[in-house]
Amino acid sequence: MHKRAFGGVAVMGVAALALSACGGSTPTPSSTQPAPAASETTTGVPETPTGTAAPVRDANVDLVIWTDADRSKAVQKYADEFAAENGVTVKVQISTDTRAQFKDATKVGKGPDVIVGAHDWLGELVQNSTVAPINLSADVASQFLPNAIAATKFNGQSYGVPYAVENIGLMYNKDLVPNPPKTMDELVATGEQLVKEGKAKQVLSQFVSKTGNAYFAYPYLSAFPDGGIFAVKDNGDYDPNKLLVNSPGSIKGGEVLAALGKKKILSTNVDDTNQDALFDTKAAPFMISGPWSVAKAKEAGVNYGIAPLPSLAGGGAMKPFLGVQMFYVSSKAKNATLAQEFVTNYIPRKEVQLALFEVGKRPPALKAAYDEVAASDPDVKAWYEAGADGLPMPNIPAMNSVWGPFGQATADIISGKSDPKTRLDAAAKEIAANIAKG
Amino acid sequence: MTKLTALVIKWVLIALALAGVLWVATQLAIAGYTMAVIVAGMLGIGILAVYGTRRNVPLKYLLPGMLLLVAFQLWPIIFTASLSLTNYGDGHLISKEETVTDIIAQSVREVPDSPRYRMSVATKEGASATTGDLVLLLTKPDDTMFVGDTGGLEPLPADGVEKTTTGKITKAPGYTILTAREVNARSKDLSALAVPTGDGGGIKPVGLSEAFEGKPSVTYDASADRLTDSSTTPPTVFEPKNARWVSTADPSVAFPQGWQENVGFANFTRIFTDETLRAGFVKIFIWNVVFAVVSVLSTFLLGMLIALLFNDPRLKGKAIYRSLLILPYALPGFITALVWRGMFNQDYGLINGALGLNVDWLGSPWGAKAAILITNLWLGFPYMFIVCTGALQSIPRDVREAAIIDGANAFRTLRSIIMPLLLVAVGPLLIASFAFNFNNFGLIYLLTKGGPFDGNDTSIGSSDLLITYAYRLAFSGSAPNYGFAAAVSVVIFIIVALMTIPAFRQTKALEEVN
Repeated sequence: MHKRAFGGVAVMGVAALALSACGGSTPTPSSTQPAPAASETTTGVPETPTGTAAPVRDANVDLVIWTDADRSKAVQKYADEFAAENGVTVKVQISTDTRAQFKDATKVGKGPDVIVGAHDWLGELVQNSTVAPINLSADVASQFLPNAIAATKFNGQSYGVPYAVENIGLMYNKDLVPNPPKTMDELVATGEQLVKEGKAKQVLSQFVSKTGNAYFAYPYLSAFPDGGIFAVKDNGDYDPNKLLVNSPGSIKGGEVLAALGKKKILSTNVDDTNQDALFDTKAAPFMISGPWSVAKAKEAGVNYGIAPLPSLAGGGAMKPFLGVQMFYVSSKAKNATLAQEFVTNYIPRKEVQLALFEVGKRPPALKAAYDEVAASDPDVKAWYEAGADGLPMPNIPAMNSVWGPFGQATADIISGKSDPKTRLDAAAKEIAANIAKG
Repeated sequence: MTKLTALVIKWVLIALALAGVLWVATQLAIAGYTMAVIVAGMLGIGILAVYGTRRNVPLKYLLPGMLLLVAFQLWPIIFTASLSLTNYGDGHLISKEETVTDIIAQSVREVPDSPRYRMSVATKEGASATTGDLVLLLTKPDDTMFVGDTGGLEPLPADGVEKTTTGKITKAPGYTILTAREVNARSKDLSALAVPTGDGGGIKPVGLSEAFEGKPSVTYDASADRLTDSSTTPPTVFEPKNARWVSTADPSVAFPQGWQENVGFANFTRIFTDETLRAGFVKIFIWNVVFAVVSVLSTFLLGMLIALLFNDPRLKGKAIYRSLLILPYALPGFITALVWRGMFNQDYGLINGALGLNVDWLGSPWGAKAAILITNLWLGFPYMFIVCTGALQSIPRDVREAAIIDGANAFRTLRSIIMPLLLVAVGPLLIASFAFNFNNFGLIYLLTKGGPFDGNDTSIGSSDLLITYAYRLAFSGSAPNYGFAAAVSVVIFIIVALMTIPAFRQTKALEEVN
C-alpha cells in the first residue's frame, strides 16, 4: 500500500472510506458452493475474503478477477454472462487492498488474471512488469472519453480499459448559496458574509491536514499557466525530468494558498476526519471534494449543489486531477486469452459501463454510457463538467516521489511556516533528488 | 497407562509429525523450493532421531522451542540481513532476463493503418487441441480470408467456410476450430505466436476473436548486452547501469523496468554517509530513546501510584474503580489513538476547546511530541496498574509491619521496602515495555505519521521513530526500497540489542535482593 506517500494515501483513504461504507458486510458465500451442473458457470456471488488477507486464487477456474467489495457484484454479473457465452468458469474475488495484494501474489505466481483499479497504479505496475498491454482497436478506443483513454497509456503503450472518471469539484450548500461562485474571490466574499451573519462558522472545508494533500492542492497551481507538477511530453506522457513544482505559475498558485491560509479559509486543521462533517453540519457553506462525499451529504440532509472549481484572480479556472478507474490484465495471467477477451470485448459494452456506474456513481468513461446517465442524473453531469478541463493524475512512477514532499510544502505554505517561493523551491529540490534515487 | 499404550501413542505422534513434514515438503516441492525441501527432510530426520530413540533426553524438551526460535526469530533476522545487501524494491523485483523480454514485449505497437482481423484459433484437422500447432483463421474487414501460422499468411479458400455476421470464422474445411476454453488453455503458445508479415511485424491475437498487426520497436543485442529502441530518431541505445537500462546518449532516459541485484554494503554506506540521513538518524534516535524511556517511566509511575492507592485496605468500592481504570487498556489502541488525534485538533479538538488553549498540538514539533506522550500515558498506565497491583499483593504484609515497627515512615517504607520488592517482579516487564515502545509504530503512525516535517524536507519527521522512518522508506516513501529499509532495520536491531543487554544484566542484579 504503498507508495503514493501521504497525500496519495490520504486521498485513497477518503475514497476508500467512502467506497467501503458497506465493505465487509457482504454476506459470506461458501467458496466451495458447487457450480450449477447444467452450465459450467460461476455462482453469481463474489467470493468474500475473511479478514484483510489476500484472496486465495482458485486454480480450477478459467478466469480469476480481483476487485474491491463494492464493485464486485456488478463485475460478477457480467463475468457470469461472459462465462455463459463462452462456456467457461469465472471467479470474482474480493480483495481488500488490490494494489498491494496483486503485487505480492503475482510475485509468487498466485495472482489473478484481471484486476480493477485506478490508473495511477500504472507506472508501478509497468515498473514491476506485472501488467500486460491491451490492444483496443482504434474505433473502440474512440468511443471513450479522450482523457480516459489517455490515462490508460504509459510510454505510448496502452494497458487497460477504463470505465469511470472521477475528479474533485466545488460542493456548495444551496440553502445558503443559491448560485455557485465563479471565482475564488466571490467564494470568499460570499462565505465571509455568511460567517458574519452567523449562518456559517467558516468559509470553506478542504482537506489540507498537517502533512498536506497534493491531490487537493494541485488545482491551485494548475490554474496558472505552466503551473502544475510535471510538464507533458510530446507523446502525452508526463516528463519526470521536467518538474513544474516551482515554476513561476506554480509559485503564483502557492501565493494564493498562502493568502487563503492567512485568512483561515484553508487550514491544516481540516483533514480527512472532519472535512465532510464541517460541510454536512452546515458549518461550512462550501467544500472542495469528490463524488465520495455525496452519499454522506445526502444522508445528512444537506441541500447540496456541485459546480466546477472557481477560477483564481490573475489565472484561470482551477483544473483538478482526473482519476480513471480501469481493468488491467496481469502480465503473468494464467488465462491470458480469456482475460484479454473479457477486458477488450466486454468492458467497453454500454450495459457493463452502466452497471459499474450504478455502484460507484462516477461518470462512465464510455461516451454513450455517460450521455445516457448524464441525461437523468444531474450530479454526474456536474462532476463531469467540473473535471472537463482536468488532466489525468500522473501515472509515472516518479509521481510517488511527489505526494509527500509536495503535499507537505502546500501544508507549510497554508500554515504560514514558510513562504511560497522558498518552500516550493525546496520541494522541487527534494522531489528531484528522490526521483534520481529511485 | 501401560508401557504399551505409551509406546503406541508416542509412535502415532511421531508418525503424525513426520506426515506433517512430508506434506509440507510436498507442497514446497510443487512450488519448486529445492533448498526448503532439503531443510524439511532434515527436520524429519531430526524428529525421528530425537524422539524415536532413548537418547537425547534434554533435546526432547528443547527441540520444539528451538524450532520455533529458528522459524520466528532467527530466520526473519537472516532474511532481513540478506535482503539488506540487495537493491530489492519497486522497479527492481525481477531478473535481468525478464526485463529484456518484458521491455521487448511491451514495445509492440499496432502498425499504423493496418487492418484489424476477425480471428478464430484452430488446429489442422486431426491434430490434438492441446498440443497441435496453432493456426489463426483471419478475416480482413473487406471479407478476404487468410490462414496464418508461424510460416506466414496464406489465403483461405472460401469453399465450405462458415462465418458469423461479424466475420468470425466458425467452420473451415481442413481445420478444427478450438473452443474458448481450449484456446485459453493454450494461452502461453498463443502469446508466443505472431504470424510474420515481413519487416519484423506480426499478426497477434487480442482475446478470442480479434487480431492486430503489431511490431516491436525494441531489439536486444545479446553479445553487446544493449537494447535498441528504433521508435526514436536516431534509435536510442540502452546499456545496463545501476540495475536499469539507461540510454547511452542521455542518462536521464531509462526504461522503468529494472532488475534485482546484490549491492553489497551500499545500503549501509548510504545510511552512514548521506548527510540528511545521518543528521536525521541521530535526531530520530535521540527522540526514540526519550520517547521509550518517558513512556515507560510515566506509565509506570502513574500505574504504580494508582495501584498503591487501591492497595490501601481503607478504600471502598475498589472493584468498580479498578474495572474503570482498566477500560483504556480494554479499548482497541488503534481506535483510541484516532480519537486522541481528533481531540488534539487545534481548531476543532476537545483539548484546546475545553482548556481554552490554542496549541498547535499536531503541527509543531514539541506539541506533537507532547501529544504522543500524553496519548501513550493514557494507553499504557492501565497495564502498569494491573502489573503493580498483582506485584503489590504478593508482597508479604509482615515485611511492611516490620518496617513500621522499626520506625520507618510511609515514604521510607515505599522507597526501601516496597520498591525493591516491586521492581524484582516488574523489572523485566519494564524492559519489555521499553522494547515495545521503542518500536511503537501504530501510535506514531495513527497520531502524526511521524510529522510535523520541518526544515523544508519530508524525509525526517519531528516525531519519527526509527521504525516509522524505516516503514516510510520501505512502503510509502518516494520509491519503495525494501533493500534499504532492511538495512535500516538491521541497524535498529543492533541498537535495540545493545541497549537491552545491559538492562537485562541490571535485572539480574535486582534479583540479588532475594
